[in-house]
Amino acid sequence: MKAGVRLCLFLGVIGITALLTACDRPDIHRDRFIAFGTVIELSIYSSDARAAAEAAQLIREELEEMHQAWHAWQPSLLTQTNELLALGHELLIHPQLLPLLEDARRLSEASDGLFHPGLGQLFALWGFHSDEPLGPSPSDEEITALLDAHPSMQDLIIDAGFIKSTNPALQLDLGAYAKGYALDQLSDLLRKQGIENAIINAGGDLKAMGRPGKRPWRIGIRDPNNGVLAGIDTRDNEAIFTSGDYERYFEFEGQRFHHILDPRTGYPARGTRSVTVIHENAAQADAAVTALFVAGPERWLDIAQQMGMHYVMLLDDEDVLHVTEPMQNRLVLERQPAAVRVYRP
Amino acid sequence: MSRADALVLIMAAGLVAFSYASFWAPAAPGSELRIVQGDSELMRLSLSSDQVLEVAGPAGITHVEIRDGAARCASSPGPRGICEGAGWLREAGDVAVSLPNRLIIEVLGQAERFDSLNY
Repeated sequence: MKAGVRLCLFLGVIGITALLTACDRPDIHRDRFIAFGTVIELSIYSSDARAAAEAAQLIREELEEMHQAWHAWQPSLLTQTNELLALGHELLIHPQLLPLLEDARRLSEASDGLFHPGLGQLFALWGFHSDEPLGPSPSDEEITALLDAHPSMQDLIIDAGFIKSTNPALQLDLGAYAKGYALDQLSDLLRKQGIENAIINAGGDLKAMGRPGKRPWRIGIRDPNNGVLAGIDTRDNEAIFTSGDYERYFEFEGQRFHHILDPRTGYPARGTRSVTVIHENAAQADAAVTALFVAGPERWLDIAQQMGMHYVMLLDDEDVLHVTEPMQNRLVLERQPAAVRVYRP
Repeated sequence: MSRADALVLIMAAGLVAFSYASFWAPAAPGSELRIVQGDSELMRLSLSSDQVLEVAGPAGITHVEIRDGAARCASSPGPRGICEGAGWLREAGDVAVSLPNRLIIEVLGQAERFDSLNY
């Protein structure tokens, strides 16, 4: 072999080796931390570990800011707003709250009021305005007195950037909505940072972007009886939200009270163990999953249609899985429920 | 091709194989415990060394026990025992959380069946 060919061959092999060592292999960079009052799990698929770490830091900072603005019982922009609304003041609404409240009111209407972000007083009465609720449950009289005041999102007048409440019993609590809204904002933020493939999981509810390489993101949906009920592959920009009776609850005098309250009765909603929805808009998914849990096995399909939800499954308290056909087509069940009922929306 | 040519080719091929194995091959499942407080990683520990740790947090002390290749939140502030209720953490992705102490105790590794859990 001539010296020139030999040199070219050698340099070629060295060049390939250098290329292999110079690039990082794309990988899933996973980080878990506590923010927004819950566990945040961020999975970023990227070959740039530094960019992933910087994005994670940005997410932390953004979540802290949102937490301080929207917290339902610790001093926040929202609690200040509630205090002034209760006094009957008309106030210039903060630009950070305006889109949230407008959307929340619209979604409340679409759910026939089953998603009700104006029942802060009821949540406080049940002790759910604390990190670890312990009970006791409120008296029937206390609940009836509050419901008789008929707090409704229609009591909230939003006009030209000003806000006013016509009902002092109305207290805003965005707990069943703000997480979804935050996930939409955060996924936009990641895209602006050049991150296209990621999952942001906030306390169990998540938004998935892109895919980790050639396969989709694989999500396990928790079984209320522990373990995983089903697996699902996500498509780009999909949010998966689940509400279950196992999330926040307290036990008092041998009875278990979970945190998903039925605005019609003032008590924890009955008949449902968990509801899962998939939708591109995380905020809508968040509001819907609460409304569908409250709607229960009898009304969930109507409310899902009203709220534009096609991918829905509901596990009732007799272990019957009610599922829309589009959702059924995407689910891989990990265990067989007592029965599966498929509905064509 | 001379013997020197062959030697150069073999060495170069070996270098490529070594680089691939070092930088591109999938990582092995881990056996490491990671403890996070708030948004900061406190420590990483091997699950192969039995020990009991005391981790101080805003609500008190959380005791983390490592034994026989698994870890658990042995005791922690919080009236409902959520952290302790997570039981022994063995598999990659197993996690125990103490919100009062702002702690996440998780087993690291690549062997998780799902990329994320929805609950």
